[in-house]
Amino acid sequence: MSAVMELFKRRAAYEACPDPAMPIGQSRYVVMDTELTGLDVKKDSIVSIGAVAMEGGKIILGETFYEMVFPETALRSESIVIHGIMPSEVVGKPSIGAVLDDLLKFCEGAVIVGHFLSLDLAFLNKEMKRLLGKKFRYPVVDTLQVHKWMQDNSRGARSQYDAYEENKDLFSLAKKYQIQVSAAHNALMDAFITAQLFQRFLSFLPALGVRTVKDLLRIAKP
Amino acid sequence: MLIAEDSILFLRNVPPFQFLNEEELKAVAGNMTMEFYPRDAVILRQDDPASDSLRIIKKGGVKVSVRTDSGEELTIDHRGEGDTFGLVSLMGQDRQKTTVVALEDTICYLLKRDQIKELIESNPSFTEYFLQTHFTTYVDKVYREMHSKSLFYGSSDHLLFTTPVGDIATKGVVTVREDTTIRDAALEMSKNRISCLIVMDRNELPVGIVTDRDLREKVVARGRNVDAPVEDIMTLPLIRVDVKDYCFDAVLKMIKHNIHHILVIKEGKLKGILSNHDLMLLQGSSPLSFAKDLESQESIDGLVPVSAKINRVVGLLLKDGARASNITKIIAELNDRLVRKVLEFADRKFGKPPVPYCWLSFGSEGRKEQTFKTDQDNALVYADPVGAAQEEAARKYFAAFALFVRDGLVKCGFPLCPADYMASNPKWCQPLSVWKRHFSGWINSPTPEAVLRSLIFFDFRPLHGDDSLGTELREYLMKIVKGQNVFLAQMAAATVKNRPPLGFFRTFIVEKGGEHKDELNLKFRGIGPLVDLVRLFSLEAGISETSTLERIEAMKGKHSTIDSVGDELAQAFEFITLLRIHHQVEQIEQGEAPDNFVNPSTMSNLEKRILKESFQIISKIQDGVIDLYGPGMVGG
Repeated sequence: MSAVMELFKRRAAYEACPDPAMPIGQSRYVVMDTELTGLDVKKDSIVSIGAVAMEGGKIILGETFYEMVFPETALRSESIVIHGIMPSEVVGKPSIGAVLDDLLKFCEGAVIVGHFLSLDLAFLNKEMKRLLGKKFRYPVVDTLQVHKWMQDNSRGARSQYDAYEENKDLFSLAKKYQIQVSAAHNALMDAFITAQLFQRFLSFLPALGVRTVKDLLRIAKP
Repeated sequence: MLIAEDSILFLRNVPPFQFLNEEELKAVAGNMTMEFYPRDAVILRQDDPASDSLRIIKKGGVKVSVRTDSGEELTIDHRGEGDTFGLVSLMGQDRQKTTVVALEDTICYLLKRDQIKELIESNPSFTEYFLQTHFTTYVDKVYREMHSKSLFYGSSDHLLFTTPVGDIATKGVVTVREDTTIRDAALEMSKNRISCLIVMDRNELPVGIVTDRDLREKVVARGRNVDAPVEDIMTLPLIRVDVKDYCFDAVLKMIKHNIHHILVIKEGKLKGILSNHDLMLLQGSSPLSFAKDLESQESIDGLVPVSAKINRVVGLLLKDGARASNITKIIAELNDRLVRKVLEFADRKFGKPPVPYCWLSFGSEGRKEQTFKTDQDNALVYADPVGAAQEEAARKYFAAFALFVRDGLVKCGFPLCPADYMASNPKWCQPLSVWKRHFSGWINSPTPEAVLRSLIFFDFRPLHGDDSLGTELREYLMKIVKGQNVFLAQMAAATVKNRPPLGFFRTFIVEKGGEHKDELNLKFRGIGPLVDLVRLFSLEAGISETSTLERIEAMKGKHSTIDSVGDELAQAFEFITLLRIHHQVEQIEQGEAPDNFVNPSTMSNLEKRILKESFQIISKIQDGVIDLYGPGMVGG
């Protein structure tokens, strides 16, 4: 009985969504990044997950999530170059299944934010389906889409941060918005950079008419 | 915890967090949040509920200001990277006491009240740096006072709470070795005319102090042998304060230990000595006590020592965080009182004048923009006499009168004007009709000399006597200058002659050689051009104010340039003036004569940036003036 109740409560909590009418400056966000063995969702898998919580525009430096996992598929030399995680480092790390629960708990009640989030979501959903039989259900916001939308919809943003044809990867945008990027670089640091990018967007969006979580979700679909 | 490492690294260099150990730092960083404010965003607003967090600037800069009851906006401070804000309101838990605006894109770390409280309760060095409850409540009181009275009448003893010990301590302490004889120590004291000596051990560490009192009580009264070593009579233990401690802390320690001298320590080394005499002087340095002191004097000789202390006020006001325009206003007020006092003595000495007169101040005194005592710039206007006899009587009376005032002012520390722009010069001691003729003459035939005189005289302000004479002269000037485009163009030409020292790539242009190599002249290249521009506009707009900021305020809605950039211009003026005062106070403290040359490489990044922006705005407006009057007209 109590086990069923517990399960039920947890299920309910997983799916507790932020109120769509809430102002974007008050909602809880979890900014997430993953590192992968490669870009092919069929052949590759997750190596690490990093996430940092935000309360409106505030980044909560002490509230972070970081796990390295033993990938379901082999690490490939091309991607090792990018994320720098060596095969020896993942030996003995938990499987993705063992950290997924903690991750979902960390995401409770939040809007999930990431840069080019569709890629991370594809990998997460593959694991979710395999392990829990369901998809990732939290509302999601892609900072790449927010950036594009802002460029299309604001003269102010365009004049302030000039809008030449440009790279839109996380580091190019970080540079453009003068976010300090340290040399060390893993899923958590990248989530932190994404959070700072999103933080700047949050300060500009209300003036462009994006005021509620609902407004935000409309313009920022991955 | 990984991303907090960045913030730990940062905090390690920021006082008071640098006093925390690694573990405490980690705990602090883990509890912080981080916010971003775009340029111009209002971060905290006065009278809002107090924020629950202290903010530490990670990147960017902010302006802290307070609105007085009279609606005036006082800029209290500019803060940059590593500075904090919001503490006082935070601890008071009342209302937000200041308004804080981001001057550029700014990132702050936020630390909650509870955490700060915990640190204050558990960490003495942290607390010592930060403010103790009594200080916090005291600052609150000062704010309230500022609201209810004018800044000029701020209480005098609050200086105790806002002046760090290091600012008033006697530097260059005289020391002796512990084996020095009492006789030699006493000789050393009388040679240096000091009331105490510090005794050092073999390792050059201070171990004791010998004061006049020790010599009286332990040597003379007890008939001790003066060949005994000084260590026999020195007072132990040494009570010390840190240079950064507020004077109030020193007072507390002096009372507690019943001593009159206290050691001032900086980074573990002996830096100076603070005596109860220094503290008394400090309390006697408030603008109010000066004003009272001035009023009670009955002769010029009595004014001299009081006036000699005015410079001291400037330094203390700066330390007190007063805004540049308030500092200059207070100085103007004190100088006005001083000059008026001298004029009252003259009135008494020479008796009733044949016709009414009005004493005029001009130049920086006329604009109320003096910092330190500058040359006399004054003139006298008297009512037109009737008949040759009265004419002669007036001329004689005022000639003697002006001479007396001039000499009195020199005694009080106002040097003679090298160009002889003084009422003692018969040329500038004239009846109203002659003054009107002077003014119309300069305007109708604007020779270079006439324009130069206009630049100086047109900032005149009645100071004493029959103000209506000064007012009538001002009204006459405003009437006749209207539409005088040839004159205004000459004035414009003089105004744009000195450009701010900013190069094509927004670099500072500094002196290439000579005594002031790598420095730039803030007055000549910054304040001067700005004041000239605003004077030009005020003549165009026909307003009667003489101080630069009052002119800007009065021209709103009357002058298109001021409408678009008036606020920026006012800020630029405040900033450059403040920079100049800071520089001069520093020089005076070092025992140098104050000048206007600063080296940009000694400024913080925020200062450099604001100075560049200030120069840019001046330069931009000068370009506008050239466009308006035509490059030909302004002698391009």
